[in-house]
Amino acid sequence: MKKDKRIFGKILMTLLIIFFYLPIVYMIVFSFNEGKSLTSFTGFSLRWYEHMLKSRDMMSALYTTFSVALLATLISTVAGTIAAIGLSKSKKIVRDIMEQVDNLPIMNPEIVTAIGFMLLFITFKVEKGYVTMLLAHIAFCIPYVILSVMPKVRSLDPNLADAALDLGATPLQALTKVIVPQIAPGILSGALIAFTMSVDDFIISYFVTGGGVKNLSIMVYTMSKRVNPSINAVSTLVVVIITIALLVINIIPSVLAKRQQSEKKRRPLWVPALCTACVLSGVIAFVILGTNKDSQQYPFYGQELYLYLPGEYINEEVVESFEEVTGATVIMENFDSNEQMYIKVANGESFDILIPSDYMIERLISEGYLQELDHSQLTCMDVLDPAVLHQGYDYDNTYSVPYFWGTVGIVYDKTKVSVEDLETQGYAVFLNQKYKGDIYLYDSERDAFMMALKNLGYSMNTESEEELKAAYEWLVTCVQTMEPEIVTDEIIDNMAQARKALGLVYSGDATYIVSENENVGFYLPEEGTNRWYDSMVIPQNAENVPLAYAFMNYISTYQHAYDNSAYVGYTSPNLQAKEDMYASGGDYEGIEAYIPRMGNSNDEIFHFNLDTKKIIGNLWSKVKIAASNAE
Amino acid sequence: MKKFSNLAIPYIAWAAMMLIFPMLLIAMYSFTEQGNSIVSFSFTLDHYKKFFTDPDFLIVLWRSLWIALKTTLICLLLGYPLAYFIAKSEEKVQNTLVLMVTIPMWINMLVRTYAWIGLLSPDGLFSMILGFWGLGEVDILYTEASVLIGMIYNFLPFMILQINTSLCKMDNSLLEASADLGGNQVQTFVRVILPLSVPGIINGITLVFLPAVSSFFIPKLLGGGQYFLIGNLIENQFITVGEWNFGSAISMIMAIIMMLLMMAVRNVELKNEGGKGKKVTNEEG
Repeated sequence: MKKDKRIFGKILMTLLIIFFYLPIVYMIVFSFNEGKSLTSFTGFSLRWYEHMLKSRDMMSALYTTFSVALLATLISTVAGTIAAIGLSKSKKIVRDIMEQVDNLPIMNPEIVTAIGFMLLFITFKVEKGYVTMLLAHIAFCIPYVILSVMPKVRSLDPNLADAALDLGATPLQALTKVIVPQIAPGILSGALIAFTMSVDDFIISYFVTGGGVKNLSIMVYTMSKRVNPSINAVSTLVVVIITIALLVINIIPSVLAKRQQSEKKRRPLWVPALCTACVLSGVIAFVILGTNKDSQQYPFYGQELYLYLPGEYINEEVVESFEEVTGATVIMENFDSNEQMYIKVANGESFDILIPSDYMIERLISEGYLQELDHSQLTCMDVLDPAVLHQGYDYDNTYSVPYFWGTVGIVYDKTKVSVEDLETQGYAVFLNQKYKGDIYLYDSERDAFMMALKNLGYSMNTESEEELKAAYEWLVTCVQTMEPEIVTDEIIDNMAQARKALGLVYSGDATYIVSENENVGFYLPEEGTNRWYDSMVIPQNAENVPLAYAFMNYISTYQHAYDNSAYVGYTSPNLQAKEDMYASGGDYEGIEAYIPRMGNSNDEIFHFNLDTKKIIGNLWSKVKIAASNAE
Repeated sequence: MKKFSNLAIPYIAWAAMMLIFPMLLIAMYSFTEQGNSIVSFSFTLDHYKKFFTDPDFLIVLWRSLWIALKTTLICLLLGYPLAYFIAKSEEKVQNTLVLMVTIPMWINMLVRTYAWIGLLSPDGLFSMILGFWGLGEVDILYTEASVLIGMIYNFLPFMILQINTSLCKMDNSLLEASADLGGNQVQTFVRVILPLSVPGIINGITLVFLPAVSSFFIPKLLGGGQYFLIGNLIENQFITVGEWNFGSAISMIMAIIMMLLMMAVRNVELKNEGGKGKKVTNEEG
């Protein structure tokens, strides 16, 4: 009977090990994949590692993760140990209260702690970035250190310290020579927990960071929507670093312990100190290598441009060439939605250039967040497409320079969807039971409501609550009867593989999808669509305005505009670049989605209206909850 | 000697600033009418009313608790036998196994969760294996099942390690005593081992349930935009909708629910400890 049990246990254990390690192995294997797919291995290649090493975003995320972790571990271990010693000698009531306080970050849901930190930093107007992230990490690490040091301190003989003091030791000596060595194991395990917590943290870092500072978790979270095998490469690197660190921690002490037996007096505490020193010096070398730039003859040498734009919305090579020409560094931060951007800007975070959409620019102008542009400094206005100028949101381009533009339409799998259905039903094809479980909706309140309103024959800028209510019901019917998947940028790679029959996308993403898969088409219903413009603007609190102008001019010139548009897939506002892209020999030769539709009187541009926006925002949350509850 | 107690003072000040004050801020926001400033404080209960009178929000809360409960139960059912197996192995094997369980925890949670996207996608390995066994192609990604898998994957190690620790602490002579007194294996397990491992189970449950309820990146990465848990609702209020007061109210509600649940669990532990003492003396007597 006992043997049977062991066999059962062994099988379960093996399955568990497979369960734990399969994703990790899978990730490592696919980091060497030649193709972009995460599901089929097409050949061995190191291109994703090359891509990773070139991507400043990824390297700085790695640096941030480990430097914050090391600093937070160091500081919280020292502070936590001191606090634990102090508390153990305090009155019982103080100790009991502090125990409860320490429990706050441990027993509270992490998101609550995170929001608390965010509100704290905002209340005291501390600029969010590296420092706030470090402070928050120290704050949530200390309680864990105290938790693991405290039992050791309390089991310590209280007479020890007294004896040391009686024998003429100063209190500092008593502390460092008597107490600390006795509780070293507790300190070490506290430090280990602190380090793990810090490296692993996402939620708290996500809410307290700013100024483009990202750790690994935030990077993965923001990049995970597109298939990006470089994430696998970075992850593999992390696995290697962690494995080596674990080996060092597990092996070196035992090797040293053997050596110690001969030269007795050494204390084991310097072992971790040595390891830390090694890693720290590595990090420092990494930083020095990373910031190694020579020569001073660039116009903006050593300056920084803070750019706040949607994710995956710029060709990094163009940014790099801008940096080479100017000597400046571009620090990019990404947002998921205009609303997210607005909240940060309204909270006073400073950027040099923002790239929001038309209606949001209208809002930023009306609330006084933007600077008027000095047109004598803009050399780029003449090369822009007349179709992108003189639009309602900023008629004379007083505040904005167009960056990309396009429409919103339906991508469909030609093998599954008949054009006839699209032509006769328009957006109502998203309510057609034939395609149940086979559609994507785009997680954007504006575009979802645009689709519903247009299909109902209303203006997408309607202020009528009845019409909005009708559109809301249209969408609820859709999510309750059609089993859609509500996605954001995941739709791009998925539709490029025609994973579902239909999806609502931006024309720029459609351009990429259609160029990847000839069986996928793009259709713009006659009912009308949202024609949108994303433009560059300079906020009032920008710190480097001249550099912002230089960037606007640079990115708008033909070659850079072409390269940027070809990489992202969105339509360039540079007329020549747009035409060459579509003409024979261009990157998107003959792809109609690339040329935004003009001249359909049903097409509209979004206007900003705070009341309507709030209603739509709330209704869309409820549509998503309805979708979630429908499962 | 007394001098050492002064060492705690800086930390008490720091804790008041970094741990207590933020909680007060959340509470304050949750009772403030509108706007993101505490200067213009005007008391209201509207945000709480809004949450509790809307069935949609309550369903989200309910589903978050429910999936966390499922995760915790599965982790317990899988984790206990595994922890038991590890605890009963030879010491060398035991250390290796504990290390094997620990290593994944060292690798960033987001990274590990991301790895599942490729595994679970319709033409991924998972669906290939199922197809190989003739179960057909399953599109599991962006469903509740994939969220559940992601949660179990991330939180199971906590459960195993906690239970394992409490099993290892157990005095082997108790088991021998039980056998000497004629207890068979099942009796020994039910009456000695299980009660003694309750503290580990409770720690494990806490460490799994707590993060599972509030997690928002696992549902977002593996559940897609149409899978909404309470954590996503809070994130949404702060990051995209911008209604911080309502978001703070939801945070307060969640913190209070968790606090009550944890107090209830701790009560079970205390009661059990009372009972445990008796049982042990019974066995020995």
